[in-house]
Formats: sequence, structure tokens, C-alpha cells
Amino acid sequence: MTTPALEIAGLRKRFGGLPATRNVSLAVMPGERRLIIGPNGAGKTTLFNLVTGDLTPDEGSVKLFGQELLKLPTQRRVHLGLARTYQILTLFPKETLVHNVVLGLLGLDRMRWNPWTTLFGQRHLYDAAREALAAVGLGESAERTVSQTSYGERRRLEMAMALAQKPKVLLLDEPLAGLSQQERSQVRDLLAKVPRDVTIVMIEHDMDSALAFAERITLLHYGEVIVEGTRAEVVADPRTKEVYLGE
Amino acid sequence: MNRILGVIVALAFVAVPLVIRNEFYLNLASQILIYALLAVSLNILLGYGGMVSLGHTAFLGLTSYAATLLVTWGSGQLSAAILAVLFSTACGALFGVLALRATGIGFLMITLALGQIVWGIAYRANTLTNGDNGLRFLARPQPFGFDIASAPNFYWFTLIVFAVALFFIHRLVRSPFGAALQGSRDQPRRMRALGHNVWMIQWLAFVFASFWGSVAGLLYVYYNLFISPHAISLQQSAEVLLMAILGGASSLTGPIVGAVIITIVKNVVSTYVDRWNSLLGAIFVVVIMFMPFGLVPGLRQLWARWSKPKAETKSEGAP
Repeated sequence: MTTPALEIAGLRKRFGGLPATRNVSLAVMPGERRLIIGPNGAGKTTLFNLVTGDLTPDEGSVKLFGQELLKLPTQRRVHLGLARTYQILTLFPKETLVHNVVLGLLGLDRMRWNPWTTLFGQRHLYDAAREALAAVGLGESAERTVSQTSYGERRRLEMAMALAQKPKVLLLDEPLAGLSQQERSQVRDLLAKVPRDVTIVMIEHDMDSALAFAERITLLHYGEVIVEGTRAEVVADPRTKEVYLGE
Repeated sequence: MNRILGVIVALAFVAVPLVIRNEFYLNLASQILIYALLAVSLNILLGYGGMVSLGHTAFLGLTSYAATLLVTWGSGQLSAAILAVLFSTACGALFGVLALRATGIGFLMITLALGQIVWGIAYRANTLTNGDNGLRFLARPQPFGFDIASAPNFYWFTLIVFAVALFFIHRLVRSPFGAALQGSRDQPRRMRALGHNVWMIQWLAFVFASFWGSVAGLLYVYYNLFISPHAISLQQSAEVLLMAILGGASSLTGPIVGAVIITIVKNVVSTYVDRWNSLLGAIFVVVIMFMPFGLVPGLRQLWARWSKPKAETKSEGAP
């Protein structure tokens, strides 16, 4: 049996008296496209924050290709091949798009400790960054500052920053939220083009817009895994209907 | 345009001793350079790292006391200078570990406390530091046989050290490390998620800042030939912080402009105006009201606004 790309076991997190994640276990196989759905407050983003290290869980384990992550600081996890996008945009608003991507590439480059050479001289970083921007259709906008771009463009910049790092496991937190129909289809095309050596886990609040993407779906509700299975299984499951329609 | 302006300013700095013959004003120029270096080094933390430190003169004090004591105990000038800067930078490395336990106001309070501890030791450890009376530094050294006892020579020596420091800090700000430091200031959480070790970046910035602050301390004790707790009081640390903010912490040259203004008001205007402290306060309030990011970025903005509409009307006027 192959090692899962991402394996979460018995994960628990409480905020005071409020359990945000209760005993979540799931395994995502290499190359898989996994969709995590659930209503507001189901603990989807909390789960991502636990995986990346933004939050520390009370119990459980998170393994990336068999390696335990929980003892490692966030940046070490990133160096092992984990990348994420944020639901709430956290970009560098006064910088150009290309600089945003370069900062991402720099995070995995030894060059980042160099206090002597000029950053502008690092052609390999800028070339790779422009390439990543072109791949998400922002090639023309590379020199604009983030504050001059639209919301949809920023979402795509988020994707470019994550993809430029060539991660093994990519966590996407609601990449379609707030986008127009046209922008949604652009992002979906973009995701379809991501090579299969990248495992993708995607959170989406709106089930319809993300269904086509998913091979397996995990439904979270009140911090628990309610249903997990193939697309057809999860859609057909009465508990899914209950969670989404029963309220 | 910027480059030409830079060359003119640099030439003006070199020519100062040729133009200013009055020893008082020439010494004032040396003092300005020393404080400018201290403010620029603090600005690595303040402007580029987003970390407000109220204990930066601690490094001036640590170097000055260490160099003075070493020379008094019979060490050579060169080894005393190197050891003093190393000692002070090592203290900076330790202070950085302590201060970076916190961010924002917490960071400020810890640096304030550390600065006060250094001041307290200087003030109370009579047998070592001679307390309030301070210590005399025997004589200025002669680096590579160059005599820096006279006012013009000391000015040039200070200018060379200042220029070297400014060059290194200029490179640092534009380097990949500088970009990572500025990124950590704006979005620390995102930087971590991109694989950056934010703590290490900020700690290294703290060490760089304390190193150049220590170099300023060495110049300080060479200039004054004396060090006492007054040089490292809280007021002094606050003044250096004001220099950077007044001139503009988001620019490399801002703290230099701030150092020029504050040092002149303190030393020259104070002979004519009794309430020079109030004057300094008034200048500060006016600048921050009209140029919230400080003088240099503010003037740059004005210049851009002033030169831009002209260019536009020109192009419109010639269809």
C-alpha cells in the first residue's frame, strides 16, 4: 500500500469550550483531488490551520508522506512540500504581483539569507515568478501593485504564489469564493492543468461550483467527518442532504 | 535625477571641513554623522522590520564602556575596538532573543527594559563604570597611522566609517534578506506559510542593527573621549527613534535628515532659544501632521505632485 500524501489521524482542537475539530481522521492519496465541504463553522479552515501549523492541535497526528508534521514549525512544513492559499487574502498590497510571487519563491531558496546581493539581480527568481503569473493569466499584470488589481486577480495571484513553489501537497481554501462565473471557470481550468504529482485538497463552501473537480469528498459538520467517499456516494448520501438542506 | 542628487550630497559631505573652518561647527558635523549612523542602524529594525525599539543606545553604551575599559586595562586600540564591537553585538544577539519573545508593544517594552538595565548598570556599578561621573577614554586611536585628533581629520574618519556602513545597509535593504525582512513586517503569517523563518529573519535584523549601532558607539567614544550614563538614558534612545521617524522611517536617507535636524536644534538653536525642547516638539508635531511618513518621503511626494501635473499639461498642450 502506498503512503498517503496527507494523513490526518484523531485530530482535536478546542477553542475554550468550543470544539472546532473533533477527532478528524482522513487520508489523501498522492495525486488525489480531495474536496472538503461543510456549512459555515464546520471547521474546514481550522483543519487547514492545524495542518499548516498556524494552530496547534490538542491531540492527534498529521503526516505528510509518512512524516509527522506536528512538531515542526510552519516554515519547515512548507519546505517539505506543503503549500496553501488563504480564504482571507493575505498578500503584500503595496508590492507588485511579481514581487509577491518572488517572495514565495524566496521562501524555498537559500538566497533568502543573503544580505548583500540585490534581489533585482536574481533573474532565476523573476523568470520563474513571471512564468507562474503567466500560467494563471496574469502575465501582463506582473508589474502592477496588488492594490491596483481586482479581487478575482488577487485570488489568481494567491494560486500563482502557491503553484510557483511547486508543492507536493496544495491546500486551497475556498479558491472560488467571491468570483464571477467567468473567473470561476478560469480557476477551474487552471486547477485542471495542475500536474498529477501535486496532491490537491480544496475547501469549498459552495458544493455545486466545486463538484466537478473532486474525486473524493469529505463532508465536515461541527468539526466532525460526517460522510466521506466518492463524489456520487457523498452526493447520494442522505446525511449530506440533511446537513445542506435540512437547516 | 536621484543619482545626480546623491553625488552632489556626497560631495557636499566630503567638502564640509573645507567650507566650515569653525571647529565648533565641524565637530557638530561629526556628531551629526555619529547620530545619523545610530538612527540608520535603528531604522533597520524600525523602518524595514517594523520593530520599534526604545533601547538602541544600549549598544552605543556597551561599546563605549567596553572600549574604554579595555584600553584602560592596557589593551591595544585596534583589539579594544574589535572586542568592544563584538561584545556589544553579542549582547545584541542575546537582547534580540529576549525581545523577540514578543511583538509590537511587547517588543518595545522589552527593549525599553533592556536599555534601562544597561543604563542601570552603568549608573550603579561604581567600581567598574565610575557611576554618574563616567569614564574618560585615554586618547583617540591612530587608525593605520592616520591621526584623527584634529577636528577635520576626525570628521573625515567618521565620514568614511559612515559611508561604509550606509553602503552595507543600502545593500541589505535591497537584498533578498531585506525583501524577506520587509515581507515579515507586512505579513508575518503569510511569510511563514511561504517557507520563511520569520523569527530568524527578525533576529538577524536585530543583530545587524546592534552591530552598526555598536560601530556608532565606537565613534561616539572616540569623539567625546568620555562616556557616562547620560549618553544611554531613555531620553537618548527616544531621541534616536525620533530622528528616524521625523526624517522618515520608510527610507534609507530619512533618519540622516532627522539626525541633522535634531542634532542642530539641540546644539545650536539651544544657545539662542531656552525652550529648544518645546521647539523640537513643535517641529515634530508639524512634520507628522503634514507628512505622516516623515520628511524625506513627504518631500518626495510633494516633488512628484509638483512635477507631474506640469508634464501632463505639456503633453496636453501639444497635440
